[in-house]
Amino acid sequence: MASQQTAAAPDRGSGLRRAVDGEAGEWFGLAARIGLAVVWAWAGLAKVADPAEAAQAVRAYEILPESLVKPIGYGLPFLELALALLLLIGLGTRIVAVISALLLLTFIGGISSAWARGISIDCGCFGGGGAVDSSQTEYLQEIMRDSGFLLLAAWLVYRPRTKLSADAWLSA
Amino acid sequence: MSEKNREGKRTARERMLEERAAEEARSKRKKKLIIGGVVLAVIAAGVITGVVVQNQRSKPDTPVAHPAGTIGDKNLVIPDGPANAPSVLTVYEDPRCPACGTFEREFSSTVNQLENQGKLYGNYHIVSFIDRSLGGKGSKYGANALACAQDAGKFREYHDVMYKNQPEETSDSFGDKSTLIDLAKQVPGLDSPTFESCVNDNKYAGWVSAVQQDFDKSSYKSTPTILLNGTPIYPKNGEEQISPENLAKWVDAANAGKPLGTVTSATPAP
Repeated sequence: MASQQTAAAPDRGSGLRRAVDGEAGEWFGLAARIGLAVVWAWAGLAKVADPAEAAQAVRAYEILPESLVKPIGYGLPFLELALALLLLIGLGTRIVAVISALLLLTFIGGISSAWARGISIDCGCFGGGGAVDSSQTEYLQEIMRDSGFLLLAAWLVYRPRTKLSADAWLSA
Repeated sequence: MSEKNREGKRTARERMLEERAAEEARSKRKKKLIIGGVVLAVIAAGVITGVVVQNQRSKPDTPVAHPAGTIGDKNLVIPDGPANAPSVLTVYEDPRCPACGTFEREFSSTVNQLENQGKLYGNYHIVSFIDRSLGGKGSKYGANALACAQDAGKFREYHDVMYKNQPEETSDSFGDKSTLIDLAKQVPGLDSPTFESCVNDNKYAGWVSAVQQDFDKSSYKSTPTILLNGTPIYPKNGEEQISPENLAKWVDAANAGKPLGTVTSATPAP
């Protein structure tokens, strides 16, 4: 009786489990990896051209002291590009996904904070940034978008083994 | 004896398998650590290189070259009208900002008149941030062209022509240097080889960036920001809405009992 019960439980979820652990899961992981890589590459490239603009996007949140505005504004796009590169080749997928998730949580926190304090800014997520008219803020959309990206990162933390990755090639 | 022997053999085999498994786990862990190290190194190297490169690429807060006659501790401000006038009108404007165009078309004649009467000293901060949100170069090139006009002593005239011919915010016609040069032809005595090369070479790009960075660090968020003797008066001064009449009234009220500034025929101040 007892053994039947324990045997039945994993059986019920085994279809899903097989999909998650098996080939399909790894292909889905590849899609998540490439998707997140494109997001980071786009976000990073858009912020590289004008350093003053990138710094102002950071300053506009009115969170960091002036001494940190430039280092963060200048460095962040390259952090994003490095994450994009690592995701693209699939090296250290889990740790890169963890860093991605932490970064996205930071962004969501920053946008929420700006929203809560009633300041009117563009998140500067994909270039631009800085103060905007209060009618032009898009906090909810920005948070939803980042949350979507966060789901991709969370999947890769949960299942870092993906198709066509440097990780798979190195462990073979 | 034989049984004991077999048992000994088995434990030896088991031990060997265990050791091999442990060895494999060790090398797996080592590989993971190496990959993690490489990942962190790539990220750190990328970010550090990025910060250094961007630091070098970014234009300094204090410009290397500035247009003739600019004022303020970093020479970021273009003056217009008599420097010893009793009131100062501080104006932050972006060449592409539609609200600035509306302000200028409604108020420029009043402001010019007040300056000509020795009542008002104009201080212009030509900022250039619309390019950031809409893309393009019109704010930056337009600001540079205004700096070139300041060099030629024709800031006020060119500034007024520019705002009268301002394109829609989304159309970046000021991003085309030939448009800026064509507009200069409407100002007698402005268009010259010096002016054209100043516009075409984007001569004051560093100064334009410094003016914008100064605005970035200010508490003002939008343009036009208009201050009369340091107090914001646009769109309202306290409870009163700005209008050409009200502006003249406010200036007169602020100037009450003070001597007027010296008006010379040529506007540029030292």
